[in-house]
Amino acid sequence: MAQIVAGFGVPHTPIFPFLVKRDGPNCETAKLFAAQADRLAAVRPDVIVMFDTDHLNTFFLDSLPIFAIGVDKSFAGPNDEPREVPLYNVRSAPDLAVHIRRLGIESGFDIALSEHFSVDHSIIVPLHFLTPNMHVPVIPIFISGHVPPLPSAQRCYELGRTVGRAIASWNPASRVAVMGSGSFSLEVGGPRMMPGRDYGVPDPDWAARVVSCLSDQKIEALIAQSTQGQLLRAGNVGGELLNWIAMLGAIGGRAPEYIAPQLQNGHAYGVWRW
Amino acid sequence: MSIYAVNYLCREILRDHAFRAAMAKDPAQALAGKDISELERQALLAGDVGMLFRMGANPFLMAYMARFEVCGLNAEIYNQRMRAERIDEFGLPLVVSDDPA
Repeated sequence: MAQIVAGFGVPHTPIFPFLVKRDGPNCETAKLFAAQADRLAAVRPDVIVMFDTDHLNTFFLDSLPIFAIGVDKSFAGPNDEPREVPLYNVRSAPDLAVHIRRLGIESGFDIALSEHFSVDHSIIVPLHFLTPNMHVPVIPIFISGHVPPLPSAQRCYELGRTVGRAIASWNPASRVAVMGSGSFSLEVGGPRMMPGRDYGVPDPDWAARVVSCLSDQKIEALIAQSTQGQLLRAGNVGGELLNWIAMLGAIGGRAPEYIAPQLQNGHAYGVWRW
Repeated sequence: MSIYAVNYLCREILRDHAFRAAMAKDPAQALAGKDISELERQALLAGDVGMLFRMGANPFLMAYMARFEVCGLNAEIYNQRMRAERIDEFGLPLVVSDDPA
């Protein structure tokens, strides 16, 4: 049977590949991703399941699912031209993706289907640092975290639990790492940008509270506080926290190995292994 | 709801490199024939992202206008214009501009 062997929470700031190339392997961001890459390699994953919020690049306002899953042998990205990121072709695992979707729908989660798609920086930037050879197949599960109304944090946690059960009931023996991609407090291109920057961190206290809840395993408190109002107060991409919450649902009640905050960016790097 | 068309063409600045070049060269010509209202056309051509925000345009998508420097925008001007907008606690426009069209 398949088993979940680790959970990861990752940021996906599109300028990071450029900054890391410019500043070298000893810069903070390079080291934080390298630490995660080492731990990911150590759990020898056969598949990565990544909860992600697309930035209107995979989907658009003509058809915007609350939950969706990519089912294809491979997919391309990034489709939004972040600097210093090559165009990758990422292998996927369509059989497992179909199984997750089937069990999700049987469990009351009407997960939309995408059989041919590309992805943006929110999936590719973390992979660029964590699996640059793209040797591990990746299944993307999309959560609508940018365009309100957002799905509730409890609903996303339950989605994650269902995905976790689906993985555990998958017959081919395989080792699965689950990721959640995104920030806790961030405004991109909106009025809460900092002066002279293309982003802002509207609610740094909230980002610190999220880090505290993750570190102390206060997941119920995190879910209770992650109301739509709070996520929107945290920035126009504050809903990306829902991807971390879904990842936590999938891996079950585990203690983190570490949570490394980068609060000036309103996000963190998290690793769960057992 | 032609603000959808504004959002769509903002994304086309990213996706369609020929349209991106046309918008950089002659935005009035590039927007000719697009299914947008006169107010939207004027706001786009003026780089008035604040007005477009109040009309419901998406900031991620409008930011492509600044990134690719069309309609008189660049990162600095875009930042100043967006930061001047009045918003509620959720970051949404405090004043919503209805388009009579």
